[in-house]
Amino acid sequence: MEKIDLRIKIPEVTWGRKMPRITIDQEKCTVPFLCKRCLQICPMAVFLVERVMAKEERLKEMDPRVPGNYVLSARRRDKCTVCNKCLEVCPVDAIKIEET
Amino acid sequence: MCYLCEEFGDPNIGGGIWYLNPKNYARNMYKVRLPGEGFKGADAGSETGDVFEEGLQITDAIINAIEEGDVAGFIELKKRQLARIGKVAGEEGQVVPLKEAERVIDICGPVGIMSCACRKLVRADDPRNEHEYSCMGNGVGMFKWERWPERYKGGVKFLSPEDAKEWVRKMDQKGFVHCLMLFERPYIGGMCQCDYPDCFLIRNVVDFGGGTGLLKSHFVASVDYDECSGCGVCAQRCEFGALKFEATTQKANIDQFKCFGCGLCETACPRKAIKLLDRTSLPALVEVW
Repeated sequence: MEKIDLRIKIPEVTWGRKMPRITIDQEKCTVPFLCKRCLQICPMAVFLVERVMAKEERLKEMDPRVPGNYVLSARRRDKCTVCNKCLEVCPVDAIKIEET
Repeated sequence: MCYLCEEFGDPNIGGGIWYLNPKNYARNMYKVRLPGEGFKGADAGSETGDVFEEGLQITDAIINAIEEGDVAGFIELKKRQLARIGKVAGEEGQVVPLKEAERVIDICGPVGIMSCACRKLVRADDPRNEHEYSCMGNGVGMFKWERWPERYKGGVKFLSPEDAKEWVRKMDQKGFVHCLMLFERPYIGGMCQCDYPDCFLIRNVVDFGGGTGLLKSHFVASVDYDECSGCGVCAQRCEFGALKFEATTQKANIDQFKCFGCGLCETACPRKAIKLLDRTSLPALVEVW
């Protein structure tokens, strides 16, 4: 029998639960690092602000004021409760949440 | 036995505890690296490109597997994560309680503090004020400036061991968990001050059931019911959902299987009713890391 890796644990989640699909309009949301309203209001910390960079520029500091240097993503949609607080605070209506 | 101790502990030093072995704060740093062997410093760091991107892609895939109810696929992804740890900076580490953190500071110099990369990503929190720095870097890697992201250049405050201990006590009071971080095995490059949900490692462990490289500490918290007055101060400190106020007994209750042994409840208790026990003193917990 294959030896069980004790480090692997199965989390207590609802397997097969449909999760919301969150899309962010990158044309509207251009400086998320400066705005940060959704990032800070989300009770479940669903959003991430990520850097966009070429491989050779990875050590460079990116100016948050330059549109496109940082992009908003909703990486942890498994935690989204569809409370819609982010929609209320978004000044440019860039976030869309679809229940599935 | 903790697998990091098995691999990197020395039975003659610090009782075999891997992080009390000074070798692990310097080893590998000055060796000649063969092509394709491990990650270079410039590839390391949680906000430095494709290495980090791959970690996020695995997280995406894990979420999809949960949505599809695909447990077998989930286990395969966990194996992929495990194959990554040890090669990627900041993806493996261990929780240490305050007392152990202070012991680490005694042997890990030099010590510098800086802003936290996780909080920057999760809450767009990027303090430029050194009084808010919440990450600690240590060891000879602190001198490899050419491999550091630009934002840290000039943004690191070096501390004496005494000041570093003062700082870590302050972070403990605030309610942060102390996590030792491996920056390419077995080099211990830092000690992060983490909380849920802002820290990636804690979040992966709590949400996705461990296996991603944050080990529990060598200790487990235990309540002395004779001393506990049920004041509830500790209940707001647990970052791992292990401690709650038990209505029946009107005292604190700790799920020792969930406890990470960070000791935040111990340092908060006004009556010293919570003690940290050696994990090995509880036979059923010896394999629970």
